Amino acid sequence: MGYLQVESKGDTMVEVNFKNVTKTYEDGFEAVKGLDLDINDGEFLVLLGPSGCGKSTTLRMLAGLEDITDGDVMIDELKVNHLPPGARDLGMVFQSYALYPHMTIRDNLSFGLRMAKGDLKLSKDEIKTRIEEIADVLELSDQLDKKPKEFSGAQRQRVALCIALVRRPKVLLMDEPLSNLDAELRHQMRKEIRRLHDTFGTTTIYVTHDQIEAMTLADRIAILDKGVLQQHCEPLEAYNNPANDFVRSFLCKHIDDLVDTANALFNKPTTNEEE
Amino acid sequence: MTESQIMRDWYVPVEVLTLRTWLVVAFIVNLLLLTVEVLREDSLSLILGLLICVLFAALRASLPHVHELGKRNISLALSALIIGIGLFRLGSSSLSFFDIWMHAWAIIPSILSLWWLSNRAVTVWTSNKLSTSAIEFGLLRNFETINKHEKISTHLILLHFVLITVIPLLWIIDIAFSPGNALGGEIGDSFSTEHFSKILKGDSFWIWFVNSLIVSIGTSLLGLTIAIPAGYAFSRYKFTGRDVSMFAFLLVQMFPGIIILVPYFLVMKTLGLLNTHLGLILAYCVTALPLCVWMLKGFFDTIPRELEEAATLDGCNQFQVFTKVVLPLSTPAIAVTALFSFLAAWNEFLLALTFNTSNDMYTLPVGLASLISSTGQAWGDFAAASVLVSLPVALLFLFFQKFLIDGLSAGGVKG
Repeated sequence: MGYLQVESKGDTMVEVNFKNVTKTYEDGFEAVKGLDLDINDGEFLVLLGPSGCGKSTTLRMLAGLEDITDGDVMIDELKVNHLPPGARDLGMVFQSYALYPHMTIRDNLSFGLRMAKGDLKLSKDEIKTRIEEIADVLELSDQLDKKPKEFSGAQRQRVALCIALVRRPKVLLMDEPLSNLDAELRHQMRKEIRRLHDTFGTTTIYVTHDQIEAMTLADRIAILDKGVLQQHCEPLEAYNNPANDFVRSFLCKHIDDLVDTANALFNKPTTNEEE
Repeated sequence: MTESQIMRDWYVPVEVLTLRTWLVVAFIVNLLLLTVEVLREDSLSLILGLLICVLFAALRASLPHVHELGKRNISLALSALIIGIGLFRLGSSSLSFFDIWMHAWAIIPSILSLWWLSNRAVTVWTSNKLSTSAIEFGLLRNFETINKHEKISTHLILLHFVLITVIPLLWIIDIAFSPGNALGGEIGDSFSTEHFSKILKGDSFWIWFVNSLIVSIGTSLLGLTIAIPAGYAFSRYKFTGRDVSMFAFLLVQMFPGIIILVPYFLVMKTLGLLNTHLGLILAYCVTALPLCVWMLKGFFDTIPRELEEAATLDGCNQFQVFTKVVLPLSTPAIAVTALFSFLAAWNEFLLALTFNTSNDMYTLPVGLASLISSTGQAWGDFAAASVLVSLPVALLFLFFQKFLIDGLSAGGVKG
């Protein structure tokens, strides 16, 4: 097909920039209003906000699943507004995992590689070694010939991560990937995701409405409300110096309440300075 | 002591429990069977049948409770009386399959009640004062056997439904294998394959068969090539006139076929498509499409959008998303749709009769009907041909059974 692939400046340097991006749906609803956001190379950015704040829309615009009404989205200093999703070289993890049910895990993993075009096209042997590599990292080597339905939720989530990473994408996108897991598994997967990010160093954008997830995972967080960016900084900075009332109530108060509840449970005196 | 009193009130031997329901069933069935006697205009049988019904009602009323030895004995006497009448009726009847079955409904329940009411459990229960341990033993026995009794009675009733559906089939098969071209005779009284060899050796059956095959396969292929993309578009895209055209599809289905028969005929005549396969295929597609499109749309709706978005991110274009992700996932639904349109075309009669008037272009149903003409009714040939026509369809169903169930139950379940 000869899609124009995003030209990479180097092997690792990938920046993502949103420049005054606006999204208006057909029914007139403004999901994102004039968003300016710069994501550094190798950064783990968490988009945090309540339901309907525009964080998923932002991610989907970057992925190319939603049209951009106004403004520019840049990956690696290339404007990607009208580039087809497949040409943007992104990996995405969906909330419902989105594994192809009719393929084995191996085929699921290789599908993206097999569909790659142009410079990204790999030979069969390369695909095989890639899959073995990633399966090793995620300890899935002996389960490659199973179908997704034989896996538990947590395992499917690991596979979904694998699939996103196996293509060595420029940017890794995650849309509330842990929402379908129970608390214990969520905790495990959080650690796993952070570990993978530290291993591969891929620029990552992670969407969540869970404050604790955001605080523990992020290098920097971007807090959104009603389509407007409220604060963009390191997690502790946002907690210590909330930019406005919304951040104060959505982030600081929520965490304080959690700490208070935990303390009350164990009969400790309340402290607002704890984290 | 209250404890054993409670147990005494609650313990009824399983035989009596079962008879309480089975005798009601026997009463109802015998009452229904009276209509047969009325139709046969056999007054003696009718009176005996009435008597049996009354006796069953009396037997049900006289079923004993604890310490009611007298009532138990009345029940035994009534049962014996019913057996006697039943056997007499059986002896005076013609001993066909139907008669034996009919009289069995009087005799078997009464034998059961005679046997069960006279056994040890019921005898002890009605005559003696039961000890606590005896009651405990009896309750355990009930617990172990009552499921078995219920299972037998359920299957007995189901067996009757099976017979009702299977007997016409057996009948047509029997006619096909009987010599001569007459209806009637008992099932399995004679055997001959003359009709089959006549049908299979004749040319016309094979001509009809090929015609039917071409038309049916053509209909499913053409139908699917239109219905799959249409269903996908209706499921995934929003476009002007989407809802209107979905509804218009259904609207066509609401008219009885006979209304559009004449316009159809005129259209086909103008296009010169009378007595052609293509004409029938087109006409069948029109009637089959709405169902196919709606079924496929319903199935495509259940495929998560995220799967397609993931494929887009993997570098598929719209067509590849469709062929590599959506189509492999919808094979069960497509198989079901194909089978339904095939069957609809295979069994259709009216349009085929109207459009294709020459013997060379008959489809199987029309050909079958032509065997029963005003000049001579070849029932044997007709039956043999019917069996042959049904065979491919039955085989198709056997092979696609798993697909069919998957395809029909899909949509209800996510995953």
